[in-house]
Amino acid sequence: MGSGTDALFLSLKALGIKEGDEVITTPYTFFATIGAIATAGAKPVFADIGEDYNINADLIEQCVTDKTKAILPVHWAGLSCDMYKIMNIAEKYSLHVVEDACHALNAKYKGKSPGTFGIAGCFSLHPLKNLNVWGDGGFVVTDSQEMHDKLVLLRNHGLINRDECALYGYNSRLDSIHAIVANHLLKKLDHITNSRIGNAKFFDKELAKIPGISVPPRDSSIKQVFHIYVVRAKNRDKLQRYLVQNGIDAKVHYPIPMHLQPAARELNYKEGDFPAAETTCKSIISLPVHEFITREQQEYIIKKIRGFYDEN
Amino acid sequence: MMKTKIKFIDLGTHYKSIRGEILEKFDEISSRGDYILTEELEKFEKNISNYCGTKYAAGVGNCIATAGAIVASGARPVFADVRNDYNIDPEIIEKTITKKTKAIIPVHLTGRSADMTKIMEIAQKRGLAVIEDAAQSIGAGYKNKRVGSFGIAGCFSLHPLKNLHAHGDGGLITTSDDAFYEKLLKLRNHGLKNRDECELWGYNSRLDAIQAAIGNIKMKYIDKWAQRRREIASMYKESLAEFAEMPEDKEYEEPVYHTFVIQSDNRDELRRYLAERGIETKIHYPIPIHLQQPAKALGYKKGDFPAAEAQAKKILSLPIYPELSNKQVEEVINGVKSFYIGTHRNNSLF
Repeated sequence: MGSGTDALFLSLKALGIKEGDEVITTPYTFFATIGAIATAGAKPVFADIGEDYNINADLIEQCVTDKTKAILPVHWAGLSCDMYKIMNIAEKYSLHVVEDACHALNAKYKGKSPGTFGIAGCFSLHPLKNLNVWGDGGFVVTDSQEMHDKLVLLRNHGLINRDECALYGYNSRLDSIHAIVANHLLKKLDHITNSRIGNAKFFDKELAKIPGISVPPRDSSIKQVFHIYVVRAKNRDKLQRYLVQNGIDAKVHYPIPMHLQPAARELNYKEGDFPAAETTCKSIISLPVHEFITREQQEYIIKKIRGFYDEN
Repeated sequence: MMKTKIKFIDLGTHYKSIRGEILEKFDEISSRGDYILTEELEKFEKNISNYCGTKYAAGVGNCIATAGAIVASGARPVFADVRNDYNIDPEIIEKTITKKTKAIIPVHLTGRSADMTKIMEIAQKRGLAVIEDAAQSIGAGYKNKRVGSFGIAGCFSLHPLKNLHAHGDGGLITTSDDAFYEKLLKLRNHGLKNRDECELWGYNSRLDAIQAAIGNIKMKYIDKWAQRRREIASMYKESLAEFAEMPEDKEYEEPVYHTFVIQSDNRDELRRYLAERGIETKIHYPIPIHLQQPAKALGYKKGDFPAAEAQAKKILSLPIYPELSNKQVEEVINGVKSFYIGTHRNNSLF
């Protein structure tokens, strides 16, 4: 696919999702998740998140209506959602599950990889991802022959061969150059993943000692791959400014939840509708956790954070 | 069958002609790690808008084929038959307009401009938007203006088979309309007005920096390459006009010959004959869009567009690209000639 966004969009299209349908997802995600639902013609319906920043599976059922066609869980920051619970709900109401696994390549949830629970698992190869290419790119994994065949048609103008078109499609193909890069990096993926996990563990241990920072609960049975490393911080905006001033590339992913975006105005949500997501967006900060960061650099970051809270 | 001597298109040779420049730029960008929505892209967009004579150009990730793009945007494609230049017939457009018509999408096929004065007049009279599908025609001229500068939007493809191509999928939109341009920039990048705020739910369709850089390098050669294509076209026309129907340039146009399409009553035989001599040809395309499977739901049937249908049976595209040598062009010419002159034609079925 041409991007992770297209991976989501074309998966929804392949399932026949269209205007009038509803898709349940999280209000705490990147814009592409909602963009894919909306551009497929459907209405995004939000269920609030849990402590782990992922959709709270216990809140999904109350969002199901006659119009609901799919659940779109997002494995945020490389941490799998509670997929067994989500799959049970999907089965009960006959809903499709399309997983936004753009952050979660090589992650594990109770022995199974995120992206392999639903009918489609959507991944991004954007330059900032753990496995990245030299431009936009993405892919979909599926066990369904029908889904696969439909995706192959949709991504290439609906063509069955050079001269015959089976359906009106799109153009969303992963360039060869990007595929070569991805194939090459795939060999290093375990190393990349393990470095990130190691870096995150070090942060977890050290940051837990700092009163202004709250590290999310970690479940040792889940392999989180830390596309981003996110903690909650008191006085977040000031901390971020302080870190940036000290040459640390601290980011916020993201400060405004989806239901409060200008684009969501027609969905009629308001502040207070998803308190967990709203609090999260106000307090989270992302620290560099990539495979090239050194222990010394991490220690410098920790020292600066500690220094910040000593003064604030 | 003989091994291909003259490829229909030869991207390897094309690449070798500018390999040094591309590798250098590629290394520079990759070392910086600067891949998405970058200065390199802005530079390419500036180059293109200057070249096409529009205020803006926006790089996008790809080019969805004409009818597919219409359906993908939720509209119904309505077809009007073509003229002998393979482009939409303005006289027929007017008859197909209904209350629901919102836009005209003329396609500048084969590197030749549609008859834009007439099309723009109709659009203006009926209050319709014009979106030019210039995917095959970057640089093509119409009355001293370039295609893509007539309608509200000009859409270009950078697909590897195009005259100006990237090393993968890519596309461009030209426009001189401020609001339209602003909207495109948002739509191609998740509807974002800044990193954290989304104004409208959008798509992800961005031209990679690497592809833009390749485009920038090629802009230096684009006119030279187009000139060479016209030269080859002239050679074909001079030598083959007595045997098959050749494209005839209209007085208003300057073609860039993305493809060189001839018409022959013995098209399939001719194609086989040339293939046996190692000359690769193509058919663009054997089945018109209205006879494709998904068009059935639109209610079209055989006979609806007699010109397009008749052409589909006779058209054959001969190799045409800047790297083709005169000797190779001669070989193609001799191949076609010997098919028609030689006794082979009568025996070819055996």
